[in-house]
Amino acid sequence: MKKIIITFCFVAIAISSCKEDFLSVVPETNLSSVTFFKKEADFQQAINAAYVPLRAISNDRAWLLGEMHSDNTYYYRNILFGATEQQEDIADFSIPTANGVTSNTHVTNQYRLDYQIIARTNQILSLIDEIQFPEASKNNIKGQALFLRAYAYFELVRYFGKVPLHLKPVTLRQEATLPLSSTDEIYATIIKDVTAAISLLPLKSKQEAGRATSGAARTLLANVFMVQKKWSDAETILREIVSSNEYALMPDYNDAFSSNSGNKNNKESVFEVQFLEGAAGLNGSFMYNFLPRPMSPAELLPLAGTSNPQPLTGEGNNAPTPNLIASYETGDKRKEASIGFVTISGSLRKDKSFPYIKKFVKTHSLHGNHGINWPIYRYSEVLLFLAEALTEQNKIGDATLFLNQVRARAGLDATTATSQAALREVVYRDRRSELAFENKRWFDLVRTGKAVEVITAYGKQVIADPVGHYYPEGAVPRSNAFTNISLLYGLPADEGALSPHF
Amino acid sequence: MKFKFTIRRNRYYLAGVFLSIILFCSSFAFAQVKGKVSDPSGEGLVGVSVAIKGTSKGTQCDANGNYSIDASIGSVITYSFVGYETKDVTYNGQKEINVTLALDDKLLNEVVVVGYGSQLKKNVTGSVQTIGAKDIKDLPVSQIGQKLQGQLAGVQINQTTGRPGQGMNIRIRGQLSVSAGSDPLYVVDGFPITGNIGALNPDEIEDITVLKDASSTSLYGSRAANGVVLITTKKGKSGTNVSFNAFTGIQEVPMKGRISMLNSEEFAQFKKEYYEDAKQPVPAEFQNPADYRDKNNDWYDALLRKAPLQSYTLSVTNNTEKSRTAIVAGVFDQQGVVLNNKYQRFSIRMNSEYDISSKVKLGFNVAPQYVYDNTPRTDGDRGTGILFNALHTWPVMPIRDANGDLTLFNRFPASTGNIFAYANWVRSANELINETTNTNLISNAYIAYEPIKGLVLKSTFNVELFRSKFFFFNPSTATSAINTPIPTTAVSIRENVENFSWLNENLATYTKSWNNHNFEILGGLSNQKFYQESSRIQADTYADDRLPTVQGAINVNRGGTNSGVQEWSLTSLLSRLTYNYKGKYLFTAAIRTDGSSRFGADNRWGTFPSVSAGWVISDETFLKDVPAISFAKLRASYGVIGNNNIGNYTSYALVNNTVNAVFGNTVSPGAVITSLSNNNLGWETTKQFDIGMDLGFKNDRITFVYDYYLKNTSNLLYSVQIAQESGFGNFNDNIGEIKFWGHEFAINTKNTTGKFKWSTNANISFNRNKVMALAEGIDRVYGTFHITQVGKPFGQFYGHISQGMYQNAEDLKNNPQVPGRSTVGSIKLTDQNGDGIITNGGDFDDRVIMGNPFPTFTYGIVNNFSYGNWDANIVGSGSQGNQLLVRHIYSTANLDGVFNMVSGVKDRFRSEANPGKGMYGTTVGGGNVTGIERDWINSRFIADASFFTIKNVTLGYTIPKANKVFKSARLYASIQQLAVFTKYWGGPNPETSAQGNGQGDGGNLSQGVDLSNYPVPRTYTIGVNFNF
Repeated sequence: MKKIIITFCFVAIAISSCKEDFLSVVPETNLSSVTFFKKEADFQQAINAAYVPLRAISNDRAWLLGEMHSDNTYYYRNILFGATEQQEDIADFSIPTANGVTSNTHVTNQYRLDYQIIARTNQILSLIDEIQFPEASKNNIKGQALFLRAYAYFELVRYFGKVPLHLKPVTLRQEATLPLSSTDEIYATIIKDVTAAISLLPLKSKQEAGRATSGAARTLLANVFMVQKKWSDAETILREIVSSNEYALMPDYNDAFSSNSGNKNNKESVFEVQFLEGAAGLNGSFMYNFLPRPMSPAELLPLAGTSNPQPLTGEGNNAPTPNLIASYETGDKRKEASIGFVTISGSLRKDKSFPYIKKFVKTHSLHGNHGINWPIYRYSEVLLFLAEALTEQNKIGDATLFLNQVRARAGLDATTATSQAALREVVYRDRRSELAFENKRWFDLVRTGKAVEVITAYGKQVIADPVGHYYPEGAVPRSNAFTNISLLYGLPADEGALSPHF
Repeated sequence: MKFKFTIRRNRYYLAGVFLSIILFCSSFAFAQVKGKVSDPSGEGLVGVSVAIKGTSKGTQCDANGNYSIDASIGSVITYSFVGYETKDVTYNGQKEINVTLALDDKLLNEVVVVGYGSQLKKNVTGSVQTIGAKDIKDLPVSQIGQKLQGQLAGVQINQTTGRPGQGMNIRIRGQLSVSAGSDPLYVVDGFPITGNIGALNPDEIEDITVLKDASSTSLYGSRAANGVVLITTKKGKSGTNVSFNAFTGIQEVPMKGRISMLNSEEFAQFKKEYYEDAKQPVPAEFQNPADYRDKNNDWYDALLRKAPLQSYTLSVTNNTEKSRTAIVAGVFDQQGVVLNNKYQRFSIRMNSEYDISSKVKLGFNVAPQYVYDNTPRTDGDRGTGILFNALHTWPVMPIRDANGDLTLFNRFPASTGNIFAYANWVRSANELINETTNTNLISNAYIAYEPIKGLVLKSTFNVELFRSKFFFFNPSTATSAINTPIPTTAVSIRENVENFSWLNENLATYTKSWNNHNFEILGGLSNQKFYQESSRIQADTYADDRLPTVQGAINVNRGGTNSGVQEWSLTSLLSRLTYNYKGKYLFTAAIRTDGSSRFGADNRWGTFPSVSAGWVISDETFLKDVPAISFAKLRASYGVIGNNNIGNYTSYALVNNTVNAVFGNTVSPGAVITSLSNNNLGWETTKQFDIGMDLGFKNDRITFVYDYYLKNTSNLLYSVQIAQESGFGNFNDNIGEIKFWGHEFAINTKNTTGKFKWSTNANISFNRNKVMALAEGIDRVYGTFHITQVGKPFGQFYGHISQGMYQNAEDLKNNPQVPGRSTVGSIKLTDQNGDGIITNGGDFDDRVIMGNPFPTFTYGIVNNFSYGNWDANIVGSGSQGNQLLVRHIYSTANLDGVFNMVSGVKDRFRSEANPGKGMYGTTVGGGNVTGIERDWINSRFIADASFFTIKNVTLGYTIPKANKVFKSARLYASIQQLAVFTKYWGGPNPETSAQGNGQGDGGNLSQGVDLSNYPVPRTYTIGVNFNF
């Protein structure tokens, strides 16, 4: 009997270990939501991560949707290479779209990346006021979050029009989708966010280089007003940037752009996406996407300058069009700075010489991996916006003053245009030359109401002269090229499948 | 006498270390008895165990049934043999004792291991099947899973790759889940192990019991839904037995079944025609295909070789009055049929039991094991699998240069359409290091105490230690990837994983019988904990390939360098009541409650009950008079069981703090919440009903087992896709329901008795499933090339239906097209929604279900023969109605000519007059045209993969007379994977399924994809079994 008692004691010990403690196993190698968002450093890390999707957007998507989807650039057709229709559909204005949705992967990814920024900033904005830490730091983080969220929605509203407006973090499956909001509602939110960001953010000189500043927020707000044709509101905001004395044009147009590791966030830079060469995955590789193919290592070497150039196969993108090349004024220094020519010996085309985007070609060390920053807003665009806003208000004198600053740097004479209509055309043309390959063209065509007219004409040029548009002899554009010229992209089909709202 | 004495002494010398000198000396006092043991027909019985009761002394009958043993007057000699009734004879000084053993007409007196105990087979009310070691002893394979192929009803076992020690896919009753694991729970000597059984030395196993229905598994609660495999290792038997088993053999990959690829001349011809058809100038390299005649480079074959394998096992079992010990030591060494592939296993197991008193027993098992494996990245898609890469390499590219040396890598000028650099895969095989060394220790200890008759209190403590060391080195001179020119960046990866798991169980069992009422009550508590630590270091860019150390690298790859911890705990209460009346009316009820750390904070505990009943009809008087029927039992069960393979931290919202930003040239750490938490996350629930019968005819000469089951798995763990406007891709939830049902038949017959004995075991299983529900608002989820849709079977192949090629301009005009892409000669797909155009994905998708990876039925048949000293056995296993998706033709039939191609492309569409066979289309138009048939998965990819494989044929000969060296000896020869009968055209292995690699990953939703894995070799072996 004593033994039985001993045994039962043993059993009792075993039972006592059945406590919840034994079953409470928290992840040891990951932080979890239980432990995160508790201190200033957490929010600092969270805001840093909110910038990260901008790298993928500018490296992989924005140039497809904003530049190759215009008369500025095309692709270098390689008939030996398949699985390229997703890009081609964008450049050819033939994205299959039905019921307002499309399965184009680039469109889908752009949409998702913007919502990543939105979710990350929503998380910060919803929790930051619950935690006590110094006001200056908190305002800076909130300002950056509001700027980034507004920037993401500004991309979405221009690409897609109506989209879901998420302003709170999602915590349950049922909260994942929202109805599409009207563009008015979205623009109102953007303006509200950016206006708040302007007052929360420091000047560029007071901010860590590369982060959002009050100047960047003002430029974004001005851009919104330009789209809305609120010319005097735009003028007010743009003049604040000019009078802040935080920015100036770099004397040489070539120096407006970052090199692989130098000249980043320079005096002209208002906001740019930051890259860093190296194995840590913080690099870009867009320069390679923009080169004609098949390119041999020897042909690549002078452009990339790496010790181990590899052959480039497949199909190159973002090829400057003859249309763009012809649009530069004689003597415009920006033409040579922006576009170069390279000989592709392995090309199937008789003419082996191809133009390429030179302004983003900078030598670096690692093949396929560079640290060149991507410009979002430059001071020259601030000046061009201002010139345009003034022109639209028929303030011709002031307009030419700002326009000519940009022209002078490009080696061009002051404009001779005196009428509003003539000056408007000069501003448009200078925008195209100054901002070529910076993903402005498609948005400019849409906001100025010229998209359908310009692209229809351009499409005819491509179909009439495939070889001039880098097709090898005998190859022709696909039968559906330039059959779907619409001002907005369809919403992503994959997202629609998961949302009851579209 | 003197002569006999010498024999004894020599024998003892041979087994010497294991026997005490005292025992040796005591043999002087004994007299020798000899005799013959026969069956009722008078035939001598081989292998009957003859032992002196109460001592460790024992021997076995030789091939003619003769034995001799030393006995003292008054001692009792016990004769026992499986299938016969045990007989005791008292020795009174007879010179000769001849014994006839009666057939054990109740084979069902056999005891089978069930969860937390054992039962008379006759009294089992669940669906349970046992395989003894002897049933599977001769198969010359490394893994127990391979030995079980074809043996078990309701258990589908596929060998998905021929990689030694890898790739056995075991599914009980077709169990599936969307994302939780579906492997059965393996319980070794009562210990649910956390690893798999792939590396267990099969010679350590005494028997294997598969628990299939809910009543037999429910004591394993939240881990039972995938079925349970109980493995019992060797125990000490009567007397002292030393045995030595060895085999050696050679493996090769048969030519039959290999993928037929273009040879060098055919390839050059293809390239020539490609340019001609496109009206482009033919590159100089391919203007004259005959130049490549007799200069073929079969890259696939170059990676293969004939390779040896060998295995040695030494076992000692010893049984004394108060202790029982079994020791099994094994060495297994297999060279792979792919160059530089090697698999070795060293293992030892020591099981012992001690009777401390009549009431207290102690037991200890310790089983350390060491496994070494080097496999030069054989399996996988382009990039990771050198076998796959070899198929793709242009056969015009030389394996060896003019001097006979292996080329470094090959590339033709870009003008020939050569996009990729092709490494020399023979170098890759020889130079890549991809080694895993696993050290594993499973140990069990128990104390059992019987304070009063019928009550047994048992405490067990079990520990499993596992350490895995992985080392990968890719020197600068080799690569496993297509399109990596040499020299490449040298990369090293080091990975260390250490697991520690312990289990403590405290069980009380009370057995009581009165007035034909027989009870057994079990109660228990169980606590198990698992802890894993892992680390990984990836470094690259080496100054010198000879020094692949971490410090020898110029760069440590941050992204590939990490450490991790995985942990879970499980606390359980369990109980079972077993009752029968006269062994005729049987009833069992069981329940387990599990608390698991894996479940969400608001849903920690789950309860899993079951009931079952049986009726032994043959014990009823009305059947007792039917002599043909020797046994009949009906049984039925119902229970609820769970699957907790849902990951350890799935319920938490995790933060990734490596999402770093750059400002200027400075890196700033960034963090994001990457998943949503779910405090209600729980196990998957399976409710299973089973009804079955066991029948025996003609004194059990024919036995038959039938089972029907119906189960519903609900609360499936699924990472429900959510719209990414939320910022998240998925939400981990328990959703949906799958219904499974099936029939299982097994029959054992003794076809002939007497001198020529022939017996057959056959089984056939039909498994079906249907998806009843998925998440709210979601009626389908997609796999890689698959769809799982409500109302349809799980994981069906999904794609376009091909109608061949557009034959001419009119055909093209009159049929729906892919806008901008379809041309004459390109693939004609079916416009399923009738909108006039062919669409891939989106709202106007034309894809439909086009095939099924699951078989209509699977079956196995085992025949055993013996004639005198000869024995033979044939094991076959088959599957009918299953299909595979021949994924590799997306690249091995890439009509752009960037890779080598299957020889079928010779019959492609070239012109209206030369339209080919409808399988492969025109090359004209490049990827814009050819990409449709290649990238838009379609019915051309689907192949019937029904097969019947003769897994093994063995012929054995038992040396008739025991001599002074051994008690018995047997020689055998065997062929493993003798022949595969199949119409499958996609590759050599119709059992394959891609596992965990890029394209067509073998995830649960995407089964049945052939990426041309490591082929399963045919193995010729010879072996010996000695008993000393």
